[in-house]
Amino acid sequence: MKQAGLTSKAVLILAAAFAITMVSGSAGVSIFAEEAGSGLPAGFKKGDLAPLPAAEMIEAGKRVYFTKCVWCHGVDGAGDGPAADRLWPRPRNFNQGTFKIRHTASGELPLFDAQKPTKGQNDLYETVTHGLPGSAMPSWEGILTDEQRLQVLSFVTNQLVKDRKFDDKATETVTVLDWDQLLKAQIKATPESIEKGKQLFLDKKCIECHGAEGRGDGNAFNLKDDWGFSIQPANQHKCWNFRGSRQDAYNVKNIFRTFSTGVNGTPMPSFADNTTVEERWHISNFVQSLCERDAKGNPLEIDLLTDKPKVKFVILSGTVEGEIPDDPENELWQKRERRIVLLGGQITHKPRNFVNRLDDVWVKSLYSAKDKQIAFLFQWDDRTKSVAKEAGTKIPWQPTEVNVETHGVKEQAPKTGEEGSIAGGQNKYPVYNDAIAIQFPVKWQELPPPEKPRYLWGDEKYPVDIVKWEADGSLRAFVGTGWDKDFEDREDYTEKLKLAKAEWKDGQWSVMIKRPLKADYDEDVRFEVGKYIPMVFFAWDGHNGDAGRKMAVSAFYYLVLQPPIPKETYIYPTLIAVGIVILEGWILTRRTNRKKGKA
Amino acid sequence: MKALMSVGAVVGVIASLVLLGMIFGVIPASTVHLVEGYMPMQMLFELSIFVAGFTGLSYMLNSMGMTISRFWQGIGFVAFILFYLKSRIYPPIPFSVRAMYGTVTMVAVFMWMSSNEEDWKKFRQPILNVMDGLTPLHKGLRTFFLIAIPLGLWGFAYQSFVPQGAGADVDEPIELRTVHPAPPASTKVHGKTFVLQTSQNPYRANPEGKYDQEYSNKLIVEQSMGRLMQENANPWDPKAEGYLKNVREGGEIFFQNCHFCHGDNLNGRGLHAFAFNPIPANFTDPGTIAQLQETFIFWRVSKGGLGLPREGFPWASVMPPWEQHLTTDEIWKVVLFEYWHTGYYPRTWD
Repeated sequence: MKQAGLTSKAVLILAAAFAITMVSGSAGVSIFAEEAGSGLPAGFKKGDLAPLPAAEMIEAGKRVYFTKCVWCHGVDGAGDGPAADRLWPRPRNFNQGTFKIRHTASGELPLFDAQKPTKGQNDLYETVTHGLPGSAMPSWEGILTDEQRLQVLSFVTNQLVKDRKFDDKATETVTVLDWDQLLKAQIKATPESIEKGKQLFLDKKCIECHGAEGRGDGNAFNLKDDWGFSIQPANQHKCWNFRGSRQDAYNVKNIFRTFSTGVNGTPMPSFADNTTVEERWHISNFVQSLCERDAKGNPLEIDLLTDKPKVKFVILSGTVEGEIPDDPENELWQKRERRIVLLGGQITHKPRNFVNRLDDVWVKSLYSAKDKQIAFLFQWDDRTKSVAKEAGTKIPWQPTEVNVETHGVKEQAPKTGEEGSIAGGQNKYPVYNDAIAIQFPVKWQELPPPEKPRYLWGDEKYPVDIVKWEADGSLRAFVGTGWDKDFEDREDYTEKLKLAKAEWKDGQWSVMIKRPLKADYDEDVRFEVGKYIPMVFFAWDGHNGDAGRKMAVSAFYYLVLQPPIPKETYIYPTLIAVGIVILEGWILTRRTNRKKGKA
Repeated sequence: MKALMSVGAVVGVIASLVLLGMIFGVIPASTVHLVEGYMPMQMLFELSIFVAGFTGLSYMLNSMGMTISRFWQGIGFVAFILFYLKSRIYPPIPFSVRAMYGTVTMVAVFMWMSSNEEDWKKFRQPILNVMDGLTPLHKGLRTFFLIAIPLGLWGFAYQSFVPQGAGADVDEPIELRTVHPAPPASTKVHGKTFVLQTSQNPYRANPEGKYDQEYSNKLIVEQSMGRLMQENANPWDPKAEGYLKNVREGGEIFFQNCHFCHGDNLNGRGLHAFAFNPIPANFTDPGTIAQLQETFIFWRVSKGGLGLPREGFPWASVMPPWEQHLTTDEIWKVVLFEYWHTGYYPRTWD
């Protein structure tokens, strides 16, 4: 009897709730914050809790979970699997039901319905399908079937989310972004809208965390997630790394969604309560406009297998008549095509760098045959300017020293527990110099193709020429003869190098170095026009504890000095074209004559 | 005959609509999945559906009095193949390979067009019409071609006369690498010599502790979509002993060391994989560990990129010599895990 009483009470409450919803619904849910009478944030509508998945779904999902997910997310879903301590960001701890990418209002559970894998209506399903770029969470599309993805989510939401219940009507509410209305109110990304967004970016204090240029350099040290781990604001110039990019990096809807819902578990709040829908579209348009583009202003082509821009392994160096300008704003540099070089962590030899905070460098190059110089302009995003001396820590090793493990630069142990994990240790490293280096084979002309010196500082058979710039202002030349061999200093060549520019501004380094085109053949690299010269890039982030072999590294790229185009290149094709015209005339005349003959 | 052909026509229309819809984003691009590992078979299957569909379509149009001339059929088919190769196949195949397939298609279509005298006449008639320029349209076309052909050839010749590297774009040189080079007869790891022909994975053992591949084969993941573990064979079961416990320990090592490149699903799409060239090996591909002996993997893992012979491009491989990081036992367990997780059986010497 008592139970029945309880049930009828619950029904009453539900009915009342339903009636209120109906009334507010019929009053018309306004999408403008200041007009909202419904108590809902602007642009949202009331949603329903999804029915619980069937018991078989949950049971089947357990099998998926313990085959695929347990390795990072752990036996209990606490984000403490075997891989966790070497990852940053750490794998999600499901227990609290905190999920980042949602269509629901701030603090609410994400949308998940085991029966409905519909786009825009099933946040968790989309996360598993598309993965979370910029983290270790891959896209499971094509690996797990739709059914299996829904099964594993059924298991996670019902068994591993422990502090909240997806079907508890007493505690959970569902407030969903109302795309139908929002898309009707969508504002095109016109220059005016972007300008308004830029102003709002300032007014709404976005720059406090994301930085003046949106490179995530505003508050890079003090931000923590709900579990106390250091996290960093998103760099809006790399939209392909947005966790919520859903493999559609340049889609402004993703930005609008994140901006409206906030990112649960992180300091990124929802702006639904203090912006109008119109303002949110302006800001989203502005943020979207920050993402890197090609010379014509088109979005970069993103490789769906890697969620990174497509890369060409060739760096082109353009020719200039006179002197190479020192100013990157000079027209000659501005017109020069830039190429992206992707960087991964050095995870071959100890100390391995499992988390590289630098993942790309943009490179431009010019050479002057008359001045006998070649120049490289490197531009890369680094949220922190790191100079060892300024921070009061003098680097305890010589610049030629390679094995700096003895000085305490260690790799992350595999099992430390949360406290000692990479996520726990971020921003607690001693600060070393930011740095960048390029490597060429000495006497590359004599290499029997495709042979090369080893990518990591050459080998004894083929030494390499390394030029390294560090944030303390030094620019030095070395010889490398192997990954574990100390560099040899080359002071005579160091003297010929020139640092034209080194500046850190709003989360970006711009470093321009110049070096001789032709130097001593036996020791230095001679840059020859029109040849493929193998090249490797290295970069260090001083605030990531990067030093020695702990760094980011690229694959082999090829530097090609583009030759000027000689006159013959235009003459011969013209001769050929004239020949073709004559041939055409001959064929047509013959045809006419034959027809005449027949007639 | 007519019924059969109309079925073909319907198939052709539907298939074309689905293909166009997927390519132009009208319907989700994943409507017809490309099944990983079976792509060549799927391509052939899809193309044969299209050929059957087009046959039906052309028959139906013909019987309705809307004949498409031989000339346009040929042109249309070549264009379709080129379009299909460019838009449907993912990851995209390079232009040179597409050009090769395109040429083969063109030759085939040419043979089809010239298979008998009547067809050949029909085929070349439109070309002759343009050359004669009898109607204003043909005259216009003739003028267009008279200008376009020399111009096009000028561009083509210019491309070939431009000095290497001066063009707007320069491709990286093609360097062919042997992915699975010949292994040595034996390898020395942590002071112990392993003869590749006779060594066995000490952890591939049955409950009696004997090397037993048949036993372990029954406990690996299912070789179906998703590759899930067998029922009642959970390595994470606290009661798991022997082989399954070793699989779990191997997995722990894999996810602390290897997944950064080889990926959470062992498909070579790890966190750092995007930066490297050559890309990391995809163990779920039937062409990698499924083709190799366990001892080969043991050698490759222990010695890494540094241990490769010249044809394997040791200078470009970022694969660590794992003996620098792992014990012999740990390496064997990782190898065990890789076969368990992909559902492949290691090859044996007999």
